[in-house]
Parts: sequence; structure tokens; C-alpha cells
Amino acid sequence: MIKHFTCVICPMGCEIDAEEEKGKIISLKGNKCARGKEFVVQELEEPLRVLTTTVRIEGAEFNMLPVRTDKPIPKRLIPVIMEDIAKIEINAPVKMYKVIVKNIAGTKVNIIATRSM
Amino acid sequence: MKADVTVIGGGPGGLVSALFAKRNGAKRVLILEREDELGGILKQCIHNGFGLELFKKDLTGPEYAERLIDDINKEGVDYMLDTMAIHLSKDRTITAVNSKHGVFNIDSKSIVLAMGCRERARGNLVIPGTRPAGIYTAGVAQRFINIDGYLPGKEVVILGSGDIGLIMARRLTLEGAKVKGVYEIMNHPGGLKRNIVQCLNDFDIPLYLSHTVMEIKGKDRVTGVIVAKVDGKMQPIKGTEEFVKCDTLLLSVGLIPENELSKEANIEISSNTKGPVMTETMETSVLGIFSSGNVSVVFDLVDYVAETGVIAGKNAAEFAKEKWENKKFINILPGKNVGILFPQMYSYRDDLVIFFRSKKWIEKTVDIEIQPLNMKMRRFYARPNEMIRIKILKDKLLSVKDDITVSIKEVKE
Ligand code: SF4
Repeated sequence: MIKHFTCVICPMGCEIDAEEEKGKIISLKGNKCARGKEFVVQELEEPLRVLTTTVRIEGAEFNMLPVRTDKPIPKRLIPVIMEDIAKIEINAPVKMYKVIVKNIAGTKVNIIATRSM
Repeated sequence: MKADVTVIGGGPGGLVSALFAKRNGAKRVLILEREDELGGILKQCIHNGFGLELFKKDLTGPEYAERLIDDINKEGVDYMLDTMAIHLSKDRTITAVNSKHGVFNIDSKSIVLAMGCRERARGNLVIPGTRPAGIYTAGVAQRFINIDGYLPGKEVVILGSGDIGLIMARRLTLEGAKVKGVYEIMNHPGGLKRNIVQCLNDFDIPLYLSHTVMEIKGKDRVTGVIVAKVDGKMQPIKGTEEFVKCDTLLLSVGLIPENELSKEANIEISSNTKGPVMTETMETSVLGIFSSGNVSVVFDLVDYVAETGVIAGKNAAEFAKEKWENKKFINILPGKNVGILFPQMYSYRDDLVIFFRSKKWIEKTVDIEIQPLNMKMRRFYARPNEMIRIKILKDKLLSVKDDITVSIKEVKE
């Protein structure tokens, strides 16, 4: 099966067609460098993204505290993680990079604050 | 009140300018910020992708801001919050107002303008229809969600594919809204490719190129919009109209430099960039008034904003130490296929960093040509949504007498 990807590793944004069978790449067309292949391999295996969002905070000047995952997480887990995060409420003060949730949804990834408040 | 360098605006452009003015020996550096904290728009840009150039790290907007603010505090830069600059004069006097001092003047040896840009709103567009609730610019919606914690709508149509609109498409989806589509009047996207992929494709949000919103429906609240395809002249094509149900319309149709103050000081404004006409030192047409970031030209990367801040800060510090008069100038002109170009003048003081955009979407090999230097740089493509940056060292420029022209030429293969 041919799958289409846009590589986002660099601004070039190569449009890559990958011929794939059971998750294995048979041929690649359109990538201008080897990093494009790595990107497609990862996308086929498990697309990873850094999730950035907010949590409710009490006692601060604003209602929302910006947070992110401290590592990229599997894209498919984003909806589950968003649901978990929606339930959280924390209290000020918070320092930038404080861990807000440890090991979110069993991913071994933490949710950390991206500013002090 | 007196200062060596006064920076108007505490967003990324202003913070970096102030930092580098201080690091280059200016004694009293003062930032005027009209909001109650520093950081500007970065505070609501909670997504990552910032700082790869300046900090060599992939940071979110708030992290980028907090790092800069920490540096500002470490280096002893002064700032006044809740303070609005209301007047600027040619002799470098700023009139400002805040609740503590009332209306007061600051005499500054040099000034850096860093007021940033503002979003084009519906007033700048002509969409007929009623004026119901539910129409926001993308940046306002971003503030609602990321700072105030309030979702502006449940079914959203986005007009324009600028970066903030794309980022908001993802943000709204994550927060449970349904984004019906992004409609772009041009035949190419306005935002960066990585945002198309990570914000739209990742969430199966459709992008409709060569489409526009023709009419807004609804009396008290938006109930839908009529969209249509446009032809090569951007005119709606009859028979392609379609009703799309939604309760919210977001506008992401571009940004314009905020230059009300600059105009008061009689600073010459470029019709090309809509910001001040500037030299390579980031000096405007008024001696000792510099400018950095999006007030000069709208950039697509905060790292470019920071780079102009470094240059403006350094030169503002130098001007504060020893005033200069520019005696010689040459122009820097957009040649073939070049649209936006900045800075517009070279004054033989510093290295030259040129930022420009292609007018045309060219998806094949091009040569960037800089004359009369006979410089040629090959690239795989030239796209209007990605600014091109080129640095030329001062040594190479000292002997140049004629105006510099930058062009993008398609290579015949
Ligand atoms: S394949 Fe290589 S050149 Fe193309 S976008 Fe990916 S990293 Fe860039």
C-alpha cells in the first residue's frame, strides 16, 4: 500500500510516498535526505508528538497554567491524556518545569508547567 | 526621567533589544510595557516550536518568555508595567502614562520601538451579512482559551490559513470543538508547512485553498457561513456557494505592524512592509530611533524577531554612547519575484541581514541573486509563506557603491 507523508523535520517539507507492507517500507519516493526516511519509519511505527495544553489554576492572576509533556508521546494517546488533564486543578504558586502529573496515562511521560505563576 | 536606551514594548522583540542594549554597555535600559507583565504575545502561544535558533531548544512561548525575563532581571534592565507610551517625538522624548506617575516624559539617548503587530480584523475585510456574536480574530480566541480558560465556540470555521489560525484549529480540536475547515482565498497556504501537517492533517481538519467566506449568517449568534470557490482573480465562482453550519468564525487573515507612535515621530513608513524604513542597524529614518521585531515587518519565526532585537539593542547602545550621523546610504531593492523585503537601506556600519519573501510560489530550483555583489545562492524552492534570510558581512559591502538588488530567479533545468 502507498502511504503519503509530509516530512516536517526541516522547512523543506518533502512530500513523501512510501510503499509499505505490514509496517515495513519497500520503497520511498520524494524525500530529499535520509532524515526523511527516519521520519516515515517513525510515523509508520508510532507517530510521536509533544502535547501542549493548559490546566486550571487557583490563586493565580490568570485562570489557566500552560503545560506540556516533557517528551513526545504517541499521537493516538492525545485524546485520553486530554481527558485526564481536564480533571486536574492545581494551586498557585507554581514554578516553571514543575511536574504537574507524573507518568500520565501510564506513558512514563510527565506533564510539566511551562511558566511560573 | 532619563534613560540611555528606552524600549517601547515588552514582547520578544523588546526583551531581546533591552537585553542586548544592556550587554553592549548601555547604563540605564528601560522597558515600557502596557500590560501587567512582560512577554507580550508569547504568553498565550503555549505551543512549542520556539527558540531553536536563540536557545538551541524546542520551547513553548511561555518558556521562551520566562527565559528572556529571567535574563532581563539578572542583567538589571529596568521596566515599568501597566505603562503606555502615548507620544513619541523626533528628539527622542517619550510621553508615557501610568497610575503611579500620571503623565510623564522620558528623555532617552536612544529608543527602540518594539510595539509588535496587530491582527487584521473584520473591519479590514469586506464580508457582507449581519454582525452577530461569534466572530473573533484567531489571536483573541487564543487568549480566551489559553489564558482565560473559555472556549469561544463548538463548531468553528476558520477564514485564512495564517499560522495562528492553523494553531488555533488544533487547539480548538483538542479542547473538544469541531473545526469544520480552514478556508484560504489564495491557492497556497499562508502558514508554515509544519503547521499544516501538525495542526490540520494530524486532526483530519480540511484545508480549502482558493476558497473564501462570502457571507455570515445569524442574527444574535453566528449560525453559519456561505463559502465559495474563487477564480484566479480571487472572485467567487457562481454556483460553487455552499452553506457551512457553525457557531463561530475565526479570522486569521494576516497581521500588520503597529506604527501609530512611529507616525507621530514622523518616521518614514514603507508601503512594502508597512513598518518603518530601516537600515541594517535597525535604525529608522529618525536618528537614534531603532526598531525591532514585528513592528518593522511581520516575521514568521520568533527567532527572526529576536535576531532583529539583538541588532537593534546593540546599535541603540552604541548610539547612546556616541551619537552618529549617517552620511552614506545605499538602497536595498526587491528585484524579480521578491515581495516583502527588509531592511531597505545600508549605511556601512554593520553586517547586513536581509529578510525577504517570494512573491510567487515556486516549487523548483531557484537562485537567489544579490547584485552588484554577484552573489548567487541556490535553493530548492521559494514560497511566499516562508521568509528567506541572508547575511552579508560588512567587509564584502564596504566597496559597494550602487544600490543592492535581491532577486529570485527560476533555474532552467
Ligand atoms: S526529507 Fe530531508 S529534506 Fe525533506 S523535509 Fe525531511 S528532513 Fe527535510
